[in-house]
Amino acid sequence: MTDWSALARRSIRARRLRLGALSVFLAAVSIPIAVPYIWMVMIAFTSRRGMAETGTLWPALIVIVAGLFSYGAALLWLRRERLAIVAGIGVALVLGIVLLGGDLHVQNFRFMVNANIIEELQGQATAGGQFPWVWEAFANSLILAATQTVIVVTVSTLAAYYLSRFSFRGRSAFLQSLLVLQAFPAITLVIPIFLIVFWVGLLNTLYAPILVLTALELPFFIFIMKGFFDAVPWDIEMSAMTDGASRRQAFWMVVLPQVRVGMIAIGVFAFIKGWEEYVFVNGLRTGNSYWVMSTYLYYVREDVMGVDYGMVAAVAVLYVLPALVLYLFCQKYLTQMTLGGVKG
Amino acid sequence: MAQVTLKSLKKTWDDAVAVADMNLTIEDGEFVAILGPSGCGKSTTLFMLAGIYLPTGGEILFDGTCVNEVEARHRNVGIVFQSYALYPNMTVLQNILFPTRFQSLPDAAKRAGEMAEMVQISDLLDRRPSQLSGGQQQRVALARALIKRPNLLLLDEPLSNLDATLRLTMRAEIRRITRDLGVTTILVTHDQLEATTMADRVVCMNAGRIEQVGRAEDLYLRPDTLFVAGFIGSPPMNLIPLPHPALEALPSARTFGLRPEALHPAETGLTAQVTHVEPMGREVLTTVQTPLGAMRFLEATTQPRWQSGEALHLTWAQEDAILFDETGARIPNAIARMTEQTHA
Repeated sequence: MTDWSALARRSIRARRLRLGALSVFLAAVSIPIAVPYIWMVMIAFTSRRGMAETGTLWPALIVIVAGLFSYGAALLWLRRERLAIVAGIGVALVLGIVLLGGDLHVQNFRFMVNANIIEELQGQATAGGQFPWVWEAFANSLILAATQTVIVVTVSTLAAYYLSRFSFRGRSAFLQSLLVLQAFPAITLVIPIFLIVFWVGLLNTLYAPILVLTALELPFFIFIMKGFFDAVPWDIEMSAMTDGASRRQAFWMVVLPQVRVGMIAIGVFAFIKGWEEYVFVNGLRTGNSYWVMSTYLYYVREDVMGVDYGMVAAVAVLYVLPALVLYLFCQKYLTQMTLGGVKG
Repeated sequence: MAQVTLKSLKKTWDDAVAVADMNLTIEDGEFVAILGPSGCGKSTTLFMLAGIYLPTGGEILFDGTCVNEVEARHRNVGIVFQSYALYPNMTVLQNILFPTRFQSLPDAAKRAGEMAEMVQISDLLDRRPSQLSGGQQQRVALARALIKRPNLLLLDEPLSNLDATLRLTMRAEIRRITRDLGVTTILVTHDQLEATTMADRVVCMNAGRIEQVGRAEDLYLRPDTLFVAGFIGSPPMNLIPLPHPALEALPSARTFGLRPEALHPAETGLTAQVTHVEPMGREVLTTVQTPLGAMRFLEATTQPRWQSGEALHLTWAQEDAILFDETGARIPNAIARMTEQTHA
């Protein structure tokens, strides 16, 4: 006679144990990743004398952990996702006001309104347009990232369609070389690229990083887009053409809507690559001809005497924000990218 | 509507011959089925008619005019693919209306309504293809193919993705619709039942060549070639290699063929021993071992009359036997007899 209920109890216990162990493990490995971001935000909003205020960093973690625990507890007892979120945020808010309320301020963000922050920090002598207003760097970064995204998405979509649908001499060699190009670290090319850019006469202009980044990113994104096109059945295109569409109309009206997810995904990745680029923006200018966010952040840390870590953290928060917003909005497309990319 | 003529039509892929020298005339308003095993060139023929493939040689004539070089979109051909090839980014109504976007059809919306009614999907017009069942998708594909009043309707294995019951309904539906519209229709299929039940004439193809063109009963009763004899009919024809000591036949004959239902149990005749009995519902199929080799015969009865191991005699009417020469062609009016020693 088998004791079914004992077996069931054992299985439930084992499942709970596994789930618990898994949660603990995941929490442990995510701490080193999550904590720096939390502290970056905390330093930006609490630092007063240009130093990281350790007095606020630990209470900040307590607030967050308490919030998470109350979320988990509420979820277990109430079994209602939305209520649990409200409970978590509520606890975190109350604790936050009690523990940190007096320390929060936005002084470190004064670089956003002060066009000449360097003079304020170091006096008249160091001025003279060496260091720009942050919005100039922000705009340049935006131009760099957006322009190169538009080029990358357009070119890789068209190239990938051709590679996916037409056979031509050297097609397989072309595909292989696309992959081989990815094997070389781009940084090994800094010197030759510098020379080319210098001779072409684009040194110290934003065109240089835009074109160089586009060229370096294209192979990989063409390959990914080809995967998306390979997943679109031929029948649909053939059907459109017997229905009266030209090849171009079939491409626009029927094929392109099927690879929209792929275009959004590579667009996000291309934008973020352009937004975070440091090597080629710094390497392709000889003076202070143009500033982008990455070089701005670097010099806030480097050049300012008696480094103001509060401001460094505040610049970092501003720097991270656009990429974060983009990720949040396009998350659902990004997770589908691997699907399309692996196929074919 | 159009009369369609194929004149020594050829299609090769590099060295592989898909269609070799095909000659065929399809009358205006006729329903023709192209029947053959997979890889026989039937779909290639269909795609050449649609203008998707360019013929390697020969001519395609619509009403006597060569259309070889006319693009698919100008041929005014409607096609239903095996996969239906509906446009996933459009609703059912947009799918049906798609062909009208490339030509001015004054009453497009009204006509779309009529088409939807004809194929009985009027209540599904706002849905997306992914929300439809296989049968519904197929009806949409049919409506889309017919909305522009095509010269020619091409059906590429349209029923093979449907379940058995639905296939039966759709067979009759498609036949009714094409007859009502009087549209010249070509159906490509590997299913002989589909071909024989739907088409006015059946074209049997093998290895890129036409084996026989005729009405269903012609192909069944008077197969021109050994291939047609073996391909058409289920269960298949009994085929005995000649010369055989037990059979007296023309010296030029190489194969003796007899349909399973032409073989009857009798008092005297060919000695046979039952090896296998298969009740098929309305009929019983019995496999026997005879001096001529293994043979099958079919009896119209629900109750099996024989058991494994039982001995019996079999006979057939002289005119039911068919003889083929060494090229596989049928020898007309040839008769084969059992020799004395066989006749027990």
